[in-house]
Amino acid sequence: MNTALVTSAVILLAVVVIEAQRGITVLLVNLPAQARLSFSTASVTFPDADPTSTPLVASVPVDLTISVRARVQTNSQVTLTVQSTDDLRSGVTVLPASLITWTVTGSGFTGGTLSRSAPQLVGRWTGSGVRVGAQNYRFENRWTHPVGIYSATLVYTLASP
Amino acid sequence: MLWRALLLALGVLAAPAVASGQQLNLTISPLLVTFPTTDPDTAPVLSAPPVTVQYRVRGNGNRPWLLTVQASGDLISGLSRIPASAVTWVATPAPPFRAGTMSSTQAQTLAAGNGNVNPTTTGTVTFQLTNSWTYDAGLYLQTLTFTLSTP
Repeated sequence: MNTALVTSAVILLAVVVIEAQRGITVLLVNLPAQARLSFSTASVTFPDADPTSTPLVASVPVDLTISVRARVQTNSQVTLTVQSTDDLRSGVTVLPASLITWTVTGSGFTGGTLSRSAPQLVGRWTGSGVRVGAQNYRFENRWTHPVGIYSATLVYTLASP
Repeated sequence: MLWRALLLALGVLAAPAVASGQQLNLTISPLLVTFPTTDPDTAPVLSAPPVTVQYRVRGNGNRPWLLTVQASGDLISGLSRIPASAVTWVATPAPPFRAGTMSSTQAQTLAAGNGNVNPTTTGTVTFQLTNSWTYDAGLYLQTLTFTLSTP
């Protein structure tokens, strides 16, 4: 009985001393899937060269630096592709887009051959993040190419399923 | 023996009698704080609308009072996490309010002072989130608990 009284008093003391008021708020952050793609330059040029001494002409500038920023769902794949809208054209003269190839630097980036019929993989990653790499385009130079100023437009697509 | 125990108990209870006269009031609003949606290049730090903290301390004599905030965990969206420490805050008026970094393991001091705060006084807390491309997309939630006490 005595013990019970003392115990009750001690518990009451604890309630009195630890006096506090509480309030709550809930933080909500909605982060939608987002992507941003940027390049160091909007165009590259292949200068004239002797096909015998320079069978592969490097672009100017040599490095096309690509910055890929993507925020995606957990472990979702992020892919970057490039496709030519057409073959290389100089008036009515046409050279196949596949004469242009590229090598790369940077994690997740991959080399390839340009196509006008299907997008070609430039890079693949998993999950959100910032990835920076460089493409080095080369043009296959031949004596059989007709003289002319050829051009093509490349479309890059950054996607996540 | 019984009387001794009772006297002892009453004596112990008598000491915090003043404390029992303390009255603490705390109101936090709004209940839900939503950060804006902006990509990290545009906004490296996301600022939420301000949270209003209304508090009153009475019967405290010249003793200290403390207002803390603690997250119940990291910000969670399914399996994805943003560490609670990515949330910081700025608060006014300073003092008694102070800026800080959120923790889910330890209550962080939001404001502190001595004596009474009467009538009800208002502070403003603006939570900020370090924005990053490395976060997974998702809808993140976490509860913050504010505690006003006289330690």
